[in-house]
Amino acid sequence: MNRAHYRYFLAFTLPALAVYVVFAALPLVNSIWYSLYDTDSGVARFVGLENYVYLFTNPTTSERFWNALTNNLEFFAIHLLVEVPLGLLLAALLTSGRLRRSTGLYRTLLFIPTTLSVVIVGFVWRLIINPLWGLVDFPLLGDERTALPTISLMSVWQYVGIPMIFLYAALLAVPNDVLEAARVEGSGAWSTFWRVKFPLIAPQFGLIAILTYIWTFNGFDLVFALNGSAPGPNYSTDILGTLFYRTFFGSSGQLSDLDLGATVASVIFLIILVVTAAYFGLLHRRLRSYEL
Amino acid sequence: MHAIRASVALVAAAAAVLTSACAPSATPVTTGGGSAPAAAGEKTVLTLGSWRTEDLAMWEDEILPAFEKSHPNIDVKFAATNTNEYNAAIQSQVDGGTGPDLITCRPYDVNRSWIKKGYFEKLDGKPMLDSFEPLALDPWSDDAGSRYCLPTAAVLAGFYYNKDIFAELGLQVPTTQEEFLAVLKKIKDNGKYTPLAVGSSESWQLAYNGLYSIGPVYWKGEEGRQGLIKGTKKVTDPDFQKAFEAFAAWKPYLPKGFESLKYPDMTQLFTLGKAAILPDGSWNINQVAVDGLNVGVFGPPTDVAGGERYLQEMPDMAIGVSAASKNKAAAEEFLAWTATPEFLELYVNKLPGFFSMAKQPVTYTNALAQSFADLKNGAKLTPRLGLDRLSAGTPPFDDEVWRVLQLMLNEDLSAQKATEELQKGLASWYTPQQ
Repeated sequence: MNRAHYRYFLAFTLPALAVYVVFAALPLVNSIWYSLYDTDSGVARFVGLENYVYLFTNPTTSERFWNALTNNLEFFAIHLLVEVPLGLLLAALLTSGRLRRSTGLYRTLLFIPTTLSVVIVGFVWRLIINPLWGLVDFPLLGDERTALPTISLMSVWQYVGIPMIFLYAALLAVPNDVLEAARVEGSGAWSTFWRVKFPLIAPQFGLIAILTYIWTFNGFDLVFALNGSAPGPNYSTDILGTLFYRTFFGSSGQLSDLDLGATVASVIFLIILVVTAAYFGLLHRRLRSYEL
Repeated sequence: MHAIRASVALVAAAAAVLTSACAPSATPVTTGGGSAPAAAGEKTVLTLGSWRTEDLAMWEDEILPAFEKSHPNIDVKFAATNTNEYNAAIQSQVDGGTGPDLITCRPYDVNRSWIKKGYFEKLDGKPMLDSFEPLALDPWSDDAGSRYCLPTAAVLAGFYYNKDIFAELGLQVPTTQEEFLAVLKKIKDNGKYTPLAVGSSESWQLAYNGLYSIGPVYWKGEEGRQGLIKGTKKVTDPDFQKAFEAFAAWKPYLPKGFESLKYPDMTQLFTLGKAAILPDGSWNINQVAVDGLNVGVFGPPTDVAGGERYLQEMPDMAIGVSAASKNKAAAEEFLAWTATPEFLELYVNKLPGFFSMAKQPVTYTNALAQSFADLKNGAKLTPRLGLDRLSAGTPPFDDEVWRVLQLMLNEDLSAQKATEELQKGLASWYTPQQ
């Protein structure tokens, strides 16, 4: 690359970089900065890690935090175990060639919920499972044991289109001659999929799994739309996003605490950062990508 | 895509801080105001900060023109922020040296922290305070009793009932707890209607329209509430336990699947004529009568026949003058106007369900609102139990009340266990209770 190329390179990257720095990187640093201060008295006072110590040692805040983290893990696990495999199954069916001309129709239908607003999804599902007006007699959202799985499955229903379309695109990229060769060798559909197709899309499969992790740990909207900022019953649907919102903005019975809110946000950031970094550092590199 | 980043909210907050810090004063002395540039040089422009975005049209079209008619030199602008973001927005604005000239005040602890931070001008000694009883002014005072905000409106809580169902089943409006339970039982035995339109999915209303409405008769209103605040009474005292027991007595009369019914479901159950009684707040007046339903209202039952009546009057909002305002004299002029019957009558009749806190009685054009206001006569008034001081720490008492009430209905937590848990939470941080 010569000098002129570098200049173009800069000209095209700088605007995006500037926007990213001002609206994403700086506020992130700023919020970490906030978490090291105490502003409750009206004057900002540097307190080091005191907010973090408080978050993890105060019996109530730590109980709420661990509760939200556990719920978030469950929320993630349901997505990982249901949404991602279901997306893979749908993508495999769409590319199997059995659907012929209706592929486009199914692809569109399955993807539509993803484009809906969470408020609509929450509202419609709440009506469907409402014990008074709906189809289910059991108060699914009112029972501590079933509330979180119910919300998670609503979210899975809505977003299954994303892993599907992602893996569908990856499967389409598998060259036909490889599949042809497999067929000539006498491999059936099942073993072709697991021994030929899946290894070829494994990096994408890993990527969608880690993206699901990031999305669910940043999750907030559906829970908030359904259950507000103190998601019950008995905080059984509270996840890290709603915990952050409640801490930062306050709720009817709780004062807003900007510093502690920033602390919660920083901890969420850290949780996501560590796992994502570990995934890319340890696992993703080992997934071989084949030159075809 | 899938979710918002927690940090997005921080971005917004940080941006608000940045812009408010860089922006020039948000209280322009002379701006055109759009319509009359000729008179622009003369007018003092005030901004009124509020969390009620839904009231914009009412202020701009009805109330502010009435004020500006008698005060031609002042132009007031209504500047509302979303309810949930109001507190954080005001804090970042005022800390940055800007913010509205007139700040709508949240009751109790939020406002107390704002007073401590010096957001308001003191109102002590101003004649406008004389229009209100001390109980109405207390939610917006500091520990020394200095006043900072002038009360605008309060909300009440009671029981809406379907008059046609009562007539059909030959029921009388209950006045004592015994009668109340007898009425519920009769409706249940008849089997055609749900006695109480109550769901437990939204726990706030179990406290605000349930316990805090029926409880004061047992803990004797202000006596019990102040006792908790001062530390002379405990939540585990028999007075409070009885209140929680009275709440638990509702359980057999709730609709099926109440655990997942939300507030709108409850209202709907009542307005469709499927439920006889709806414990609710006065703010829901327009919704419960919307289908031309024959609705009446009664207050919380008394403990014994002829016993003292209590009613929850919850201070909802007040207005204070910002210490950072450059137009304090004009702002005070506006504030004094909000204590006049002219303003109060305009306000409460534009917003049925909100009630004036002033000494002077106000006429309500909405019949249901008037009968709600009539409940105040002869009743001892008291605000919601948990919001004053008791929720300014962790765990907030109010949030804990919501939670245990929900557990009492959903998981049959006993009144004794519930009050013990509340007392433990309170004693963990609230010094007078330690």
